[in-house]
Amino acid sequence: MIKDKLFKIWVMAKKNINLYIKKGPVIIFGLMFPFFMTLSWVLGRDISQNQIFVGIIAMTTFFTSTAISPIVFPIETREKSLERIISAPISLNQILLGIVLASALYSLLISSIITLIFIIIFQGLFSSLLYIFLFWLGIILMSILGSLLGLLVSAIPTDKTSDVMLIMNLIKFPLLFISGMFTPLDVLPFPVVVLSCLSPLTFLIDIFRYCVDGHSFFPYQIDLLVLVLWIIVFFIANGYFHRKTMPKRF
Amino acid sequence: MNESIAISASNLTKKFDDFTAVNDVSFKIFEGEIVGILGPNGAGKTTTLRLLTGVYKLEEGEKIEIFNENLKDNQINCKIKFGIVPEISNAYSDFTVLENLEFSGKMYGLSKEEIKNRSKILLERFELLDKLNAKTKTLSKGLKQRANLCLALLHEPPILILDEPTSGLDPISVKIMRKQILEFRKAGKTILITTHDIKEAQTICDRILIMNKGKIIADANPDTLRRDFKSISTIIFKTEKELDSKLMNYPTLIKRSDGTFAISSENVLKDLSELYNSFTLKNQIQISDVKIQETSLEEVFIDLIKNDSTKKKGVKND
Repeated sequence: MIKDKLFKIWVMAKKNINLYIKKGPVIIFGLMFPFFMTLSWVLGRDISQNQIFVGIIAMTTFFTSTAISPIVFPIETREKSLERIISAPISLNQILLGIVLASALYSLLISSIITLIFIIIFQGLFSSLLYIFLFWLGIILMSILGSLLGLLVSAIPTDKTSDVMLIMNLIKFPLLFISGMFTPLDVLPFPVVVLSCLSPLTFLIDIFRYCVDGHSFFPYQIDLLVLVLWIIVFFIANGYFHRKTMPKRF
Repeated sequence: MNESIAISASNLTKKFDDFTAVNDVSFKIFEGEIVGILGPNGAGKTTTLRLLTGVYKLEEGEKIEIFNENLKDNQINCKIKFGIVPEISNAYSDFTVLENLEFSGKMYGLSKEEIKNRSKILLERFELLDKLNAKTKTLSKGLKQRANLCLALLHEPPILILDEPTSGLDPISVKIMRKQILEFRKAGKTILITTHDIKEAQTICDRILIMNKGKIIADANPDTLRRDFKSISTIIFKTEKELDSKLMNYPTLIKRSDGTFAISSENVLKDLSELYNSFTLKNQIQISDVKIQETSLEEVFIDLIKNDSTKKKGVKND
């Protein structure tokens, strides 16, 4: 029974990857945006190699994880295929998990490849395997969290991807700017630090800094816990809001 | 057709803000029966289907049973019993026909072998084998609808739900679709079909539910509908000379644009005899080319909808 449920989630995820990986919004907001954001941030500035690495991977993970999940429902509402899925023998939770899994896997793959390239080019980024594991755990958690955030925004019962992407960007950019990515938390004034705690990205960057610099603003256990709590909150919120808005799509 | 109940729906209601799309609808559909839901646009046909297939959540007091299994309690078990053909294709347009079949098969718990074998049979039957690797978005409407039929039949469901299946199709595709529906009947499948096409409903349905403004206003087989709901036939005839004003006032007499006359009749033999008495015997006016026109289901439909609307307006005004 559970095996069957998990298999259907996997089938859904595979379908989402196959159908949406090459869609315009995924390429623009998932790959091009973080690439050009990084270029504009790095070029002509005196930033340490570690800070660039942390910034690039955090931005890549955040942007790629929020690329697929927000567009699935609007596109499938427009193309009517959502009705086929809703009337198929699969629960809404399985449908949601199929989207999260696709989006998270996409993010995990891109972020892991870029991390690997950095590890190869800049040798000595990590002083031990434990840091690599922790770094990768951070990527995994952020991939899931970002996917859930994107999915949550797509609870708006629209069939236009532009509507969802607009709101997504309105949320993403403030979260990025208050996350301490551009300026480390320990040099920020206290009120700004409090504000930055509202962004889950802050805790990811803090874990990344711990892994490459050996020190962080919060203990890494707190960072991990906060990310897990955000995942739980987003998961519950997704179930609640999608259940409420799903009938309005038909 | 046997007497076991395939679908039992009780007190279905669906509101969209202030608009009631389906208003306290109840019906039963027996196994092997072909039931048509007829109604004008906005009558609540598609909403009823969406309630049946679990697209809309049932509220307190509403109940749907599929082969005695409660839809609310056993969504997955109930949904697996449906094969759904929508009015507008909802297959993944960027997937090929085969990819859509594979995805659908996996959703319905079929093994790879079952998907392969059944797909081949269905694609052959619906003459789609050469379109196997074509993306569904490249198919014509008729081919898309055939692909939808394949998707609906892949898991061999006992109940088929067809939402306006022939709407906008070319005559060849309509013929194929109708032939298939009749073959499903032979195979013992229960079929629920919504349609605007009254002739189609008359030809293929065992029973017709007529919906208007969210309610079922008639539930009977096509012949009973014709007989019971509007038993009036029309007597059409010609006369040798012009009628005077007295005869023009003959009850229900209408002069038609082609110069013939028409009289509505509930009892054709009696009215023909009276007509002969009044025209020929009393007034020496010969009548000829007498034709009796049976009431069509279309007229019943229009009449029922018109009466229902008038009744509702009356109630509102009261």
